[in-house]
Amino acid sequence: MSGIHQFVPVLHGGDAVGRHTLGLRDAIVARGFESRIYVDTVEAGTRTLTSPALAYPAEAHADDVVLYQFATASPMAAWLAARGETLVVNYHNITPPDLLAPWDNHLALGQLRAQAELRLLVQRAVLAVADSHYNEEHLVAAGFKETAVVPPSAALGSEILAAGRRSALPIAAAGGARWLSVGRIAPNKAIEDTIAALLVTRRQRDPSATLLIIGKAATTSYADALHRYVASLGLSNAVTFGGHARDATVAAAYARSDVLVVTSAHEGYCVPVVEAMSVGLPVVAFRQGALPEVLGEAGVLVDSRDPYTLAATIASVVHDAPLRARLAELAARRLAELDLATAADRFVSLLCGVRERRG
Amino acid sequence: MSAQPPPPDDAPQEDAPATPADSGAGEDHAAAVAALHAAFDRLRPQGSDAWNFLAAFTHLGDRYGPYQPGASDLSRRMEGQDHGPSGRPGTWKQRLAHKAGLAGAGRGSVGSAGGQTELEQAMAQVVEAFRFLSARVRTLEERLACEDRPIEGAAWLVPAPELGHWVDPVAAHIVGTSPGGDVLHADCGEGHLLDALVEAGVVACGVEPRGAVALGPLERGLSVALTEIADALAGRPPASLGGLVLSGVVDRLPLHAVVSLLARARDVLMLGAPIVIVASDPDKRGPWAGTVAQEILQPRPLHAETWELLLQRAGFVSVASLDGGGAGEGDARFALSAATPT
Repeated sequence: MSGIHQFVPVLHGGDAVGRHTLGLRDAIVARGFESRIYVDTVEAGTRTLTSPALAYPAEAHADDVVLYQFATASPMAAWLAARGETLVVNYHNITPPDLLAPWDNHLALGQLRAQAELRLLVQRAVLAVADSHYNEEHLVAAGFKETAVVPPSAALGSEILAAGRRSALPIAAAGGARWLSVGRIAPNKAIEDTIAALLVTRRQRDPSATLLIIGKAATTSYADALHRYVASLGLSNAVTFGGHARDATVAAAYARSDVLVVTSAHEGYCVPVVEAMSVGLPVVAFRQGALPEVLGEAGVLVDSRDPYTLAATIASVVHDAPLRARLAELAARRLAELDLATAADRFVSLLCGVRERRG
Repeated sequence: MSAQPPPPDDAPQEDAPATPADSGAGEDHAAAVAALHAAFDRLRPQGSDAWNFLAAFTHLGDRYGPYQPGASDLSRRMEGQDHGPSGRPGTWKQRLAHKAGLAGAGRGSVGSAGGQTELEQAMAQVVEAFRFLSARVRTLEERLACEDRPIEGAAWLVPAPELGHWVDPVAAHIVGTSPGGDVLHADCGEGHLLDALVEAGVVACGVEPRGAVALGPLERGLSVALTEIADALAGRPPASLGGLVLSGVVDRLPLHAVVSLLARARDVLMLGAPIVIVASDPDKRGPWAGTVAQEILQPRPLHAETWELLLQRAGFVSVASLDGGGAGEGDARFALSAATPT
């Protein structure tokens, strides 16, 4: 029996692409299709959910639709391009290599390789789906003829977030404002800009302000540099590196924080922004990549990397109760526009359309 | 919503801006912002050149080594296929043989191992040699980092006391002996010596590794690099400094780092330029040196006699005790002056 199967280089249960892949799998199965997830590298935590890619040829059906989750370089791209099944690409963005090169040339070269692999898929994919219009522009620039945009089904589950849901009113800041950063610790996240702004804030207006950084280190050298930067700025007691955290821990962090700060130099989507909006946590972010698109009017965008400007903006958001209430209201409206609850189903509808046309 | 810089006082006021981004008009933040960014950029291990040694090496690995070292079954399968991510025809082995004119029979076309040409085998060995070298360099760098920075943020754990009463005598000595050019002070703290030197017409720059402390002089418009003195001197050309004052940092650095710091200082100072060391007297520990600081410092701080020896060994002349004019009484510190030979 033919099916709609997904390929992803590695399935991490706790990251955005992993959650998105699993969410799509469930939506595909709910429509009555067979759906398996094939990986290049088997991860222990998701072993039971995946099959090795090399097992696919023996299980393949000529009418299969193959969906490739594209976020990084992998021999899987060339391998799939050489096969005959109907191919759809789900594009999650490629971090620009020049942001990674100063920290890890291997990773930077991997991104260059990924760019080449994306171009390789142009001739083979019948459809390329981006998770933001910002990412769709990349697909068009690469040469994909048929593209679509569907947001990822990657945010933390509503039940988990509900546990952390709270009023959008400001938390009594007697102990200092609590800033939050969520996401991989990678150079494109530019977390150093958040740290510099915290330094300015503690010096100028809130000596007890703190920052909690939740996320797995994607680049060891960058994570080490952040630790050294924090120590040299005298912020060791104010910045906590929480590392990779369980979903419930992340949800609790949203609930206990006063503001989510996103100073990324490059973002293809930024799932934590959506999660913060879901729990009414105000977002202050640099105007970069897909952030203006995802946030809409529901957060505060900063145009400058100046930590003084960022610190002043965050202070205004943290201490201005009417503004926080207004942002929470706008966030709810923005989430309704994104309609994330039906995103996976809309994606499957696209795949069904492809399948019918090919049939 | 967008955060915009606040309008100038005389600008027409618009309806309640949603997010007043008060960036503290009136203070010189540009220097502080640049120093904060530069401080982090200095922590990049591979610089800003996208195509440095490691990138070039990785290219070699891609062309002549495995698709991804130690990667999956799928990547090994790709090795044998007639295409790659580059889209070029043929395997990397075939392309190499073609480029080298070795396709077909003949010397070098096929070696003994798995059908590789001799050139391919040689290149694969080069890749392995680079990989080994890269791993070795990384190990050494990590070891060196551990020696130089046994504890991150040591500058905070062993905080440098402000120069206090030493500002005037040190400034007077520098002004009287400097042949001209920039004068550097590390750790400059709140920048009181810089203030005095600037007031005397000297081009003075500070070095301060404690970011929160450095913001003070930076916001006053002084030139301060947010880093350690060794890093600050590393980027300076030879014979480019008109004077160097070392305080605070000299009580904190490991001995081997002090020796290399003085050697570097000797190189970057102009002929006849002064160097001043303001160090803690180990026999008169000040109240700032608490238990943690003392245990981290041991066996430092160094006696004046040791500093005299180190300065002489580094090639400085005219090593002498700097007269504090009574300013240093009750202060658990001493000062030595020296100069590069003329």
